[in-house]
Amino acid sequence: MIFTLERTKRTPSVELSENRLVVRGECYPENIAEFSEPIIGNVRDVLDKTEVFEVIFELLYFNSSSAMFLFDLFNMLDDAAGGGCDIAVRWRYEADDDSMEEAGADFEDAFEHASYVLEPRDEL
Amino acid sequence: MMHTQDFHRLLIERNTFFCFSGPLSETALSAISDAVKNRVFEASDKRSLATKIFAVFIEQAQNIIRYSAESIAADDENESMGIGTVAISASQTGFVIEAVNPIRPGIIPKLERNLIQLKAMSGDELKVAYTERLKSGPPEGSKGAGLGFIQMARKCDRFNFEFAKEDEGSTLFIFKVEIDK
Repeated sequence: MIFTLERTKRTPSVELSENRLVVRGECYPENIAEFSEPIIGNVRDVLDKTEVFEVIFELLYFNSSSAMFLFDLFNMLDDAAGGGCDIAVRWRYEADDDSMEEAGADFEDAFEHASYVLEPRDEL
Repeated sequence: MMHTQDFHRLLIERNTFFCFSGPLSETALSAISDAVKNRVFEASDKRSLATKIFAVFIEQAQNIIRYSAESIAADDENESMGIGTVAISASQTGFVIEAVNPIRPGIIPKLERNLIQLKAMSGDELKVAYTERLKSGPPEGSKGAGLGFIQMARKCDRFNFEFAKEDEGSTLFIFKVEIDK
């Protein structure tokens, strides 16, 4: 693992390896900049070196301040895909939560080059 | 002062199952958010409904922390703290999430214009406003993403706001969000 964060009440777990980023939990940090900057920085470093990168998001809830962080991260991933990196992003949501399905659909605009799919799941 | 028994009855009568009033900080919000989440999930039988109520509660609470005109010094000087009230109640059609806080008069005209615009928008128009704001970044004067009111407008079935003048000259901002079952 290159970078990891433990899940807390207000922040998701983050697992970043050379080919994969997995984010699981809830995201409404006390301080969004403090939470997001190391993630953005580390993912940027990984994207400079890799050719294939998989991203999995399993968020149960995120607040509006976190939406901007997610959008920035997704833009960075899409730029890397535009530069030739093979990037697949999966947005997983609980099948009975149309609120998080809609939230995932809102980010479709960020993706032009990378693959982005919404995946309903029975239980996260 | 209102009798304690009457205060108890008042909350019961208006079906208010959660209420916080006073100085609110991110630390205080962390301490109460689990209790609120558990209560909201117990009160609503659908996950998507509970997520919406909780999401609106967090935006309301964070607006008080960031924008209340009244605050007291927090222990940590980096932490902002705002005074206000946030409450969640059951209603005939679903749930009501209310927030009240003193507001600086200078920001009222812009906020009022913004909220009148949001109130007139359809669901599709709100989605466009949301994605446009994501692309353009936070507006001047915003301490968050400037997305909070748009998100609340999208998640609710209706909302109302009021700028209520107090006797001593200050103004209270009241924001009331309704989510149907």
